[in-house]
Amino acid sequence: MSQTTAPASQAQPDVLAVAARRRLRFPAALRNPLAVTGTAIIVVWLVLALLAPMISPADPLAQNFDRLQPPSAAHWFGTDQLGRDVLARVLDGARVSIILPLLLVVSSLLVGTIAGSIAGYFGKVADEVIMRIADLVFAFPTIILAMVIAASLGPSLTNAVIAMLIVSWPAYARVTRSLVVVASRSEYVVAGRLLGNSPFTSLGKDILPNIIAPVVVLATLDVGTAILLLAGLSFLGLGAVPPTPDWGAMVSDGVQNFSSWWISVFPGLAILTVVLAFNFLGDALRDGLDPRTADAVKGRAL
Amino acid sequence: MLSPLRRIAGIVGIAVVATLGITACSAGSSDSSSSGGKSVVVDSSFDLKTADPNREYETTGSIVAKALYETLLTFKGDDVTKPIDGLASYEMNADNTVMTLTMADGHVFSDGTLVTVDDAVFSLQRVQGIKGNPSFLLEGITVAKTSDTTLTLTSATPNPALPYILPNPALSVVNKKVVEENGGTATDADGAEAYLNGASAGSGPYMLESFDVASQVVFTKNPKYTGDAPAYDRVVLRNVQGPTQKLNIQAGESQVALDLNPDQVAELGGSDVTVLSSPSRYMIFLLLNQDPSVSAITSNPDFLKAVKAGIDYNKIVDLAGDGSVQPGGFIPSLFVGAIDASDGNQHDVAAAKASLAASGYSGEDVTLNFPNDITVQGLSLQSVAESVQAQLKEVGINIVLAPAPVATELDAYRNGKETVGLWYWGPDFPDPSNYLAFTPGELVGLRAGWAAGADQTVTDLAAAAKAAVSTDERQSAYAALQKAQNASGPFVPLLQPAQNVVTSKSITAVSLNPVWTIDLAGIK
Repeated sequence: MSQTTAPASQAQPDVLAVAARRRLRFPAALRNPLAVTGTAIIVVWLVLALLAPMISPADPLAQNFDRLQPPSAAHWFGTDQLGRDVLARVLDGARVSIILPLLLVVSSLLVGTIAGSIAGYFGKVADEVIMRIADLVFAFPTIILAMVIAASLGPSLTNAVIAMLIVSWPAYARVTRSLVVVASRSEYVVAGRLLGNSPFTSLGKDILPNIIAPVVVLATLDVGTAILLLAGLSFLGLGAVPPTPDWGAMVSDGVQNFSSWWISVFPGLAILTVVLAFNFLGDALRDGLDPRTADAVKGRAL
Repeated sequence: MLSPLRRIAGIVGIAVVATLGITACSAGSSDSSSSGGKSVVVDSSFDLKTADPNREYETTGSIVAKALYETLLTFKGDDVTKPIDGLASYEMNADNTVMTLTMADGHVFSDGTLVTVDDAVFSLQRVQGIKGNPSFLLEGITVAKTSDTTLTLTSATPNPALPYILPNPALSVVNKKVVEENGGTATDADGAEAYLNGASAGSGPYMLESFDVASQVVFTKNPKYTGDAPAYDRVVLRNVQGPTQKLNIQAGESQVALDLNPDQVAELGGSDVTVLSSPSRYMIFLLLNQDPSVSAITSNPDFLKAVKAGIDYNKIVDLAGDGSVQPGGFIPSLFVGAIDASDGNQHDVAAAKASLAASGYSGEDVTLNFPNDITVQGLSLQSVAESVQAQLKEVGINIVLAPAPVATELDAYRNGKETVGLWYWGPDFPDPSNYLAFTPGELVGLRAGWAAGADQTVTDLAAAAKAAVSTDERQSAYAALQKAQNASGPFVPLLQPAQNVVTSKSITAVSLNPVWTIDLAGIK
């Protein structure tokens, strides 16, 4: 972080150049303790997830140890009901439980933004059709709809992600649409169209840079929710198929062995830290980049 | 400053809490100080629907009916291999089609009237007539009164299992006069259930004091009971879930806990309690579909052998904790015809690999379907499935797990669409003939794609077992049948999970039985 503050003290004569560089630097909004903590936790978890096969103390699937051993020097997080090392499973589970929700958020961001842009820019029939579909999805409680879809497709991670994608794109579509509707009436957009830009050039070059910040903020805040949703589906037996390590499924295993607290506490703590970290980061980003949507997304965090 | 109203509310609140606390303490102490009231608290996880003995067919229902009523025949203790006289003695004719029951003298109902042959005939006909859950037990049987002391049960085909069916608490004898006065009939117009949920009309060791399907059932001693008087005057059977049962028995809140799983029992190690672990009547098995249109891999006989030899049965028994055993065949160790685990499938990695090589299997994924939301005696089928998967992987078989809620998976199982399935079987009555379902063309056989005529050896042995009459003949016939099934059949019996009963030190004896779980009158 010291890097971000150092250049600011060196006064530059060229005001425009300073402004341009400042935009590229670490945003001021992220220079607060919560954002730094959040970022640090996320980085640590991502590194752990990527290095899991190398640093893991045991094969997460090997049933080689005594069952239900409490945490000890040999097994820091204890062993589960089948004699597998819980630490190895938590580390390996990070690959499913963090990376999959990240991919999911990126894909629902893409799907939702494209659908929302089309609805907002072209209006009329496209708008009606897309937004009524979005309303349809909004009409159901998220987790219930995801459960219904996952249950009817059969339990697997792919199906869980499909189910979550179906329930999560409308939020992006709705935000994007309202932003596009406002932006497309701006003079610079109208001017661009008069110069002969096609609708897609106009959307991509003139509108997108002006609406992307709030949508990205929304996405960052959504990562935590997505992790919880995937964990929830796995907890209910609709996500990860055993023996794949997944935090939600591990918590569910722990519930069946209630007094072996270590089986569910450690994956539970992992979920807690990651979700909290993404929410810290998302909140800080929102405060810094996009005060406008602060009201719109309030309550989505945590 | 608090307003006066708030202050009063606060005082009232404190007073209420204090009173509740005192009453809670006193209730606890009166339960445990057994000398005066002589009552005992039993914790069980309820699946109760009714206290009407002729309608119940649930685990908790059987416990209740066993305490309130008596049956024509019964079992002594936990030995279900030999039915003994209850309200009557029995005689079978040579071809096992007609059973003559002679009523014993001297049994009386709790209202003081004698138990007569009319009561017995009415009760059995009522079970048949009301078409409830236990009605199938007497399907195809005609009940008739033949004299003032005898009745006959006649079936068209030989039915050697009948003496083993009659001890079921669902076939309890009710007081005909009392039940009829309260709307009871032997048809589906019967309306006595509501009455029997409020009072008992039987000759059992206890009478019903209060009944609540969701929370608790209270029994008081039947002063007119003619057998050995129970040791406790009052029994409270409470609906409590496993983890809470463990806390209650440790704290002395209850004296008997019925639903602790092996891991919970293991944690009770240091506590001042007695643990009774015995194999339960449930049998967990693997089925490999023999229908080539479902799977060309699992219907291959060599692949089947590889799976049977590739499973480490001891490891699976360890998973299920103390008291669980590997059944030798599909008949659990408690029943006539059971064979020893040493006569069953054995773990042999080299043989498994050899069979696998002979089968031409080359690492294809094989799907193992199982219900992931049910537990058998506290053991989740998912743990068993994951263990089987890891063991077969060592042999070189790639199993892919496909868990599903039981409500959706049951259809695939019943229609015989599962490639490999992991299920369990609870017997309807403690007789080996119930397990003929595991033969070609029969109920469970078809679920494994084992059509009639698919395995003539097993079919012939099944016919021989069905025809066997004496206990010794049946024992050897069923043993031969299971050995043949183990050799060539699609079922791999894995495990009988343990039935754990934990009692406090003040209890010196409990009487357990695979049919009615626990005889409350046998608690001493």
